[in-house]
Amino acid sequence: MTTCDLCEQPAIYHDVRIVNGVHSTVHLCHEHAIEAGINLGPVDVSVVLEIPQFVEEMSSTNECPDCGMTIAQYKKSALLGCPTCYEAFREQLAHIIAKVQSNHSQHVGRAPSQISPQADRHLKVRRLLKQLESAVIQEKYEHAASLRDQLRELHDAGEENEI
Amino acid sequence: MKFDPSRNCPFNSHLTPFGDVVLSSRARLARNLEGFPFVNRSTDSDCKEVTSLVHRICDDPNSPTSLEWVDVDELDNITNGLFVERHLTSAHLAHANHPRAIAIGPELARSVMVNEEDHIRIQSLRPGLQIKDVLDDVLELDESIERIVAYAFDEVLGYLTACPTNVGTGARFSVMLHLPGLRLIKDLQRVRHACEAMGIAIRGYRGEGSEVVADLYQVSNQVTLGYTEEQLSKILAEDFLPPVIEWERKARMTIVDTNPRLLDDQTYRSLGLLQNARILQLEEAMQCLGNIRLGICMDRVKSIEINTINQLLIEIHPAHLRWRFGENINDEELPQYRSQLIREKLTA
Repeated sequence: MTTCDLCEQPAIYHDVRIVNGVHSTVHLCHEHAIEAGINLGPVDVSVVLEIPQFVEEMSSTNECPDCGMTIAQYKKSALLGCPTCYEAFREQLAHIIAKVQSNHSQHVGRAPSQISPQADRHLKVRRLLKQLESAVIQEKYEHAASLRDQLRELHDAGEENEI
Repeated sequence: MKFDPSRNCPFNSHLTPFGDVVLSSRARLARNLEGFPFVNRSTDSDCKEVTSLVHRICDDPNSPTSLEWVDVDELDNITNGLFVERHLTSAHLAHANHPRAIAIGPELARSVMVNEEDHIRIQSLRPGLQIKDVLDDVLELDESIERIVAYAFDEVLGYLTACPTNVGTGARFSVMLHLPGLRLIKDLQRVRHACEAMGIAIRGYRGEGSEVVADLYQVSNQVTLGYTEEQLSKILAEDFLPPVIEWERKARMTIVDTNPRLLDDQTYRSLGLLQNARILQLEEAMQCLGNIRLGICMDRVKSIEINTINQLLIEIHPAHLRWRFGENINDEELPQYRSQLIREKLTA
């Protein structure tokens, strides 16, 4: 009989996981399983096989680089955090989109026409401000100065256009 | 904003095609701005920036319609409620806490919700079966808005939305159907099967998760990706609705032919109740109005205009009653004012 990883008592909880080809198991006795906060259910024997789920959990710790959302947070709220989430979680979202969109994966409808100069400028300013913030946090001051110059240029160009 | 909810009721279907079965048609486009987090992850500052960018549509000389800008936080409770009951805005937008706005067209059919689940929700709602018209309405507004903001768009996935159920076209078409005939001959299952086969969602009067009231059903496309906006509108308008309207009309004729007494009993029982009751709860009143509406469509009642019933289906809701009878009416008093309004309208 398999014994508990933490004592010599017989194990009644067995957790087997395979992550990226690495096999790991956890065996716990009744007392240590309860101590670990594991819900054993109505029967005091529990076997957990979490092979695909655990892979997903591991990847769910990846954050969207733009808004910081994780796939676990998305699953909770059913809402993504920003347009970049579609790129950051492309693989995980592919099967969700296939399911809710009857296996369609390619847009065939309208597309925005050419972006207006005013909207384009606003977008560039937002991107540069974000990069500038990140450069300052990382103490990359030379890069920050270059970004600041680009912002000034955009600002001047915008004023000229408005005149 | 001075809003008169008695103007241009979206259920005025008496002169519209298939107005006996279809009360209203709606189109909605979901859009988001590139460079901003979606609303659920936006700060108040992001939301304010989005509203100020979209606000410019009201000053756009090329806009297809003059839109009036409404800051939701500055609305009084009654007007906020009227917008929801008129389906110009959603309850979600009305009761949220972040900066948000609505731009409303003068005919009260078109509206643009700003910072709902998506940054922009463009919609149009017209009486009867007018899906092509509501599609044209929203596409016109969409073209106008895309001239002033940059939309979040992907070549493969189309317009990127907070929820993947809207990704692609972001287009949702829905119609409000009155199906009392199919309920009476117990053949609603046929509609549900057609919905399943054609990827159409069927819901109650208040949308997702709501109960069926007054035999009113909202049907809409489930899929938003892989079809053009026109194709999606045609699936609903040309593939799904014609047979459903035909089934409902045949069901009504079947009742007249086989069990006119049941139809008359239901019609006049409801009429008697509404003409005499002094306290009316919303659901009970709506069900009776639905029954009378069927009686009018089948020529059993000739003294009441169908449009009176169509309008009452909206006018008996709480914000409409408070707008008419006084803003200080409390919840317990609403049923008596509801019965008063119905008696006045049915005996006019």
